[in-house]
Amino acid sequence: MRATRRSYFEATARQRVSGIADPGSFKEICGPTERRTSPSLPFFGLPAAFDDGVVVGDALIGGRPVSLAAQEGRFMGGAFGEVHAAKVAGLLRRALRTRPEAFVFLLDSGGVRLQEANAGEIGVTEIMRAIFDLRHAGVPVIGVVGGSCGSFGGAGIVSGCCDTLIASQEGRMGVSGPEVIETTMGVEAFDSRDRALVWRTTGGKNRRLFGAVSALVEDHIPAFREALLKALDRPASFTLEALAARRAALKARFETYGSAGDALDIWRAMGFDRPEDVPAMDVRDLEARLEPAREETP
Amino acid sequence: MKLDEALKSLFPAGCSVRTEGNVVLGEARVGTRGEAVAAVLGTTDNAFIGLEEILALGEGLLDVLRDHPGRPVVLLVDNAGQRMALREELLGLFEYIANLAALQDLARRRGHKILAVVYGNSVAGGFIACGMLADRICALADARTSVMNLASIARVTRLSQDFLEELSKTLPVFAPGLQPFFKMGGIHEIWDADHAQRLEAALAACSPQDERAALGRERAGRTLARDIMDRVASA
Repeated sequence: MRATRRSYFEATARQRVSGIADPGSFKEICGPTERRTSPSLPFFGLPAAFDDGVVVGDALIGGRPVSLAAQEGRFMGGAFGEVHAAKVAGLLRRALRTRPEAFVFLLDSGGVRLQEANAGEIGVTEIMRAIFDLRHAGVPVIGVVGGSCGSFGGAGIVSGCCDTLIASQEGRMGVSGPEVIETTMGVEAFDSRDRALVWRTTGGKNRRLFGAVSALVEDHIPAFREALLKALDRPASFTLEALAARRAALKARFETYGSAGDALDIWRAMGFDRPEDVPAMDVRDLEARLEPAREETP
Repeated sequence: MKLDEALKSLFPAGCSVRTEGNVVLGEARVGTRGEAVAAVLGTTDNAFIGLEEILALGEGLLDVLRDHPGRPVVLLVDNAGQRMALREELLGLFEYIANLAALQDLARRRGHKILAVVYGNSVAGGFIACGMLADRICALADARTSVMNLASIARVTRLSQDFLEELSKTLPVFAPGLQPFFKMGGIHEIWDADHAQRLEAALAACSPQDERAALGRERAGRTLARDIMDRVASA
């Protein structure tokens, strides 16, 4: 079984795109042959990439047209620089015109590229606004997190802006990464070398249990594709009622769990008698447990 | 600038503003004559933007949407960034920030002008949560902004701080500070005087279109972003 697994975590952005899109259907825009490289990295003595670490284009998934963007975590940690962010924002604007069945964003990013911090941060907010434009126009935006960089900083916030999130247990997400918190606030605030703590705090399972992630999948590219096929049927939603309901759920979460010190306490309060077993739980078993308790997702 | 001082210079015609913790809520008369009223929302005292702050700002915004449809919103920005804590990450601060951002975006669609005024500090996720989603982003001349300070950038990138200090003088794409951010199109206007008049004019100039990439190109800061967006959007 293991030998035939196609790990999403270990794959490159291009391998993920070709494993998720229908064979031969992906048409890249502004690809590496156009050599749109970062104008800033040379000042830092850093090599550029011809795609600036993101692949964008049109594709079919199960015969249905989608816009598809995929970040390459192996280049600059998948972080948003000027060109990288503009390619994603451009694809979102394109989708507003072409109206595909969904916009799919395979996130794998530590956030804003520090060598282009200002351009990256502004780019992140341009992407957020373009995501809201698209959702408002009725095109669902689906985020996918399962890569080695997870989805942190500006990328984490972008994840929260999607209609639907699909993640594996390995798909960590958040705003401040554990290393950043430890460096800034001290090891007693967050011990980033405690890997179990990192996974249960930021990993896909905790996000699934809170309802931020709507489908948890195994680290297997076909499993991501299958979850995407299902997610294509979920309509976009961007109404005052839905956003206010979401805020009410986040407020209730804060009131219920705001004093919890650890994910294990939260999972126990959610009804898991042996919360320490959750990290090793099979995805299907966890999903089966969740079926009756979905009320947090609007 | 301190909140009291900022309120006086921004709203000389008067305002009724209260603080709950570090969150600022209320309303103000706009311009020197004060004919129009704007809702005021924001933070003070170099606040860390965490779960409580986001929830309070969201509630304030929902109140405006419900009680004062179409009323312009002035976001007063002063923060030290997102609160960096295990608790915020455990509960999913990314969702809280995204929800507040979405509410601001929705307010714009319902006819509310959203004007951000950085009067203190503005950092990273704190600025994204409160300020960067506005129609128009303005800053008082003595305000500050950064994504990360140079000492931290040096630590993460393993480049020397001296090298970064030197480079930051000529490379606005990463340099902390208002002027570099302005050059990139991330701030529309910097106000060095006549705050009340500038605020009134800026509210009138609010547009729901995100034109920051064009602004960055015009100011020769972000030279490629707009062209690449257009290239992909029109392919």
